[in-house]
Amino acid sequence: MTYAKPLPQINSDNQDFWDGCRNHVLKIQMCGSCKKPRLPFSFVCPHCHSTDTKLIESAGRGRVYSYVVYHVAYHPSFKEDLPYVVALVDMDEGVRLLTNIVGCTPEEVYCDMEVKLSWDEVTKDVTLPKFRPVANTRS
Amino acid sequence: MHAVGVLEAGLCTHVLITYGHDARSGDSMKKLLFAMSGDDAVFGHFGATAGYAMAARRAMHEFETGPETWKQIAVGQRKWANLNPRAMMYKQTMTGHDYDTAPRVVEPFGLFDNCLISDGGRACIVTTLERARDLAHPPVTLMGLGMDNPSAELVRAGFLAGPTGAYRAGRQALEMAGITLADIDACQIYDCFTYTVEITLQDYGFFKPGEGCDWLKGGTIEPGGSMPVNTSGGLLSEAYQMGMTPLTEAVMQLMGRCGERQLGQQTNTREPRIILCSDNGGILQSHACYILRRI
Repeated sequence: MTYAKPLPQINSDNQDFWDGCRNHVLKIQMCGSCKKPRLPFSFVCPHCHSTDTKLIESAGRGRVYSYVVYHVAYHPSFKEDLPYVVALVDMDEGVRLLTNIVGCTPEEVYCDMEVKLSWDEVTKDVTLPKFRPVANTRS
Repeated sequence: MHAVGVLEAGLCTHVLITYGHDARSGDSMKKLLFAMSGDDAVFGHFGATAGYAMAARRAMHEFETGPETWKQIAVGQRKWANLNPRAMMYKQTMTGHDYDTAPRVVEPFGLFDNCLISDGGRACIVTTLERARDLAHPPVTLMGLGMDNPSAELVRAGFLAGPTGAYRAGRQALEMAGITLADIDACQIYDCFTYTVEITLQDYGFFKPGEGCDWLKGGTIEPGGSMPVNTSGGLLSEAYQMGMTPLTEAVMQLMGRCGERQLGQQTNTREPRIILCSDNGGILQSHACYILRRI
């Protein structure tokens, strides 16, 4: 069955990020000048405007900064997932990621909950970084 | 702010600020919000409701707030809309029970935490006081303004539970006006969602974090209340006209052109001399505060 949900718009700015995801490595940009980590990927450091960019690998652990529970499908392909959780996860490396929390019910999610990476291979070329609770994770 | 700049510089004599949109009957608002989603759509994240719901959820974690607070904002503003024949919700009352039982949209928000989507237009003319004195309506002047734009993107905004840009913008505007919150007779707050009203009033300093529910109790912002807020019904209950809804309502209230909902004796509220207004953009990432006065 074809994958009906929106796919990331991959370009020269974020190619390394999505290549990493496909290989189950969450890459984070680190400014070579001011040393601040950043996501989403960008050509220029938003803090100091340097174009000197390094890549680091995330250990895949973080905490839920905030989350919402969708009861409306704004795109028909998400209807089957309702209710589903979209969250902002603060990674231990100091960046924030917009993602989904899977592996638990929406009622079980809370702010500051510890979560870990859970790769979702949605197509042959695209793997999405999602997160599941560290504690009491269902198989 | 741009209008004031070009008037002060002598480049213009009259500045027309306008907005018009067929957001309800057309599909342009939907397209705009979808385009804004970018790669967030990959995770099923769309539009503005969820972004503000994300902020509101974090606020629930950091201080005492939630639907009990937001209900008072939704119900209170609806009472103003019920006095405004131009409001989309003029003939539809809202009880606390209506709010509680409304469909969930993106939790923690239900239907009545969301603003309306409207067809319509608004306009406001800005000119010099010298010119305005000759016009038919009494002049309304700008006492103070402030702006603060803390972030460009949701994922980089570390302050969804405040302080938002309202904190600094509000203080700038009050300082420029040379007044304190005690001098404010009413507020017209950009109310894309109920939580936006709470966090804006909180960051301006009307109450401490988490004390909004108590501050709102007893109809503070309603007709007859001590601090009327969004007296047209606002974006939640009159019409979504971007920042023009608060701006035009403040100006018309100060001119005394608001009919049944006119502040003062008629609605058992203070005679409006000074009204504080807000506007914000993105997901609480840019903010403008301005204070208007009748002279």
